[in-house]
Amino acid sequence: MNIRDFSRDMDEMLQAFLLFWIPVSMVPLGLWYSLTSSPLRGRFLAFSGIVLVCLSPWTVPSSPSTAAGHLLGAVIGPCMLIIIGIYLVSFSGNVPVGKLPRSDRKIGVLMAGVGFVWLAGMHWWILTPQLSPNEVNVYWYVFWPTFLLLTSCLSSCSAVTLLMIGERRKSESNIMFLVSAFSFTILLLGLNIDGPLVTGERFREHLWLAVADMAGIAAGSLLSIFVFALVIYTYERNLPEPESITPPSDSELKQVSMRIATHLGGEEE
Amino acid sequence: MKESHLVFTWRMIVLAFFLPPLLILAVEMTFFGEFKGIDSSVSFTRFANATLTAFTLCSFFLLGNLFFYGESRNRPLAPLVGMCMATGLGVLATVFFIGQGPMLLEGNGSVQGQAIYNIVHMFVSSGAIFMAACVALGVTFSAITSQKQRSSFELEEE
Repeated sequence: MNIRDFSRDMDEMLQAFLLFWIPVSMVPLGLWYSLTSSPLRGRFLAFSGIVLVCLSPWTVPSSPSTAAGHLLGAVIGPCMLIIIGIYLVSFSGNVPVGKLPRSDRKIGVLMAGVGFVWLAGMHWWILTPQLSPNEVNVYWYVFWPTFLLLTSCLSSCSAVTLLMIGERRKSESNIMFLVSAFSFTILLLGLNIDGPLVTGERFREHLWLAVADMAGIAAGSLLSIFVFALVIYTYERNLPEPESITPPSDSELKQVSMRIATHLGGEEE
Repeated sequence: MKESHLVFTWRMIVLAFFLPPLLILAVEMTFFGEFKGIDSSVSFTRFANATLTAFTLCSFFLLGNLFFYGESRNRPLAPLVGMCMATGLGVLATVFFIGQGPMLLEGNGSVQGQAIYNIVHMFVSSGAIFMAACVALGVTFSAITSQKQRSSFELEEE
């Protein structure tokens, strides 16, 4: 099928709705469906949604929103490598269930390392997500600083938590401080060393926008949770008192005590 | 744990979370003598857009959760209507504030364009937040499971 001809026949808004927004909504719907009724169908629906979103820059080239689909296609590889790598490292250690072979540890470290190098290559090498030659995907400037800064913040938070709440967790805490320092170093390098397409100046500008963005997300989410709690609290408080029932009669009490007596006690050792 | 110690622990954890951005600010101040790259009006615009979008999307998500809450309460309408109003308020506030002029328009020509940009932006930010949480939690778990197995009980000396 010729995509260009097909796209010319349709209204741009309708095209974006059918080929971008419906696939986007298929992902949460599929996940929800896989958790509630049919896991296989749900996963297929979510997977199809992800594939269609990744293809959206080609299927709906006129919509600026599809730059997010382009970014998803660009970062899904390294992100999956990192997640699978961490999973392999975690479950090849001392876990009581689902233990993987010890050799998976090295593979996991390698996979996570390759994932990070791949992401770093998007900043300092030729792998930068580009919508057209020399035009960096705008959402890359959202993803990369947010990911680095939050990884550093959460790792630092985790390190202090392990140190202060955990017992004899100093070595684990040191590992988390190292992860935090590592992502912080990449941030500092990003601020000071230009890549072929991403300059330090641009990265600095977007880093502070990422801070504003995260603060806004935290504020908005907390506000909506507060409103949700308020709605539930108000409803529960306005409920009428439950009707009191008459106390049990003597025959009922006798029946209950007989029932309890048959279930009390045990065999003597 | 004593209450004062608990408060101290929580303060340390919160401080640890904010340490990296504070360190970057300190480095910027030390080497450049100013906060380079911070444009307060642009940052405020992003903050306001993110707040409005997060409120609306999160309310919408919580509205879905009310259906499960309703299952144990004979499906009451009152909280559902309340949360619908909160979500509607979020949508109206977003449209109203974006429509006030160029203050909340981030280079987009129309209210509709900005609203769609906000939603897509939120998806990307959420993806980055999810990924960062996966890395931090995953590495913490890896660090814990990589240590030698601990015994939960001390053997009693005979």
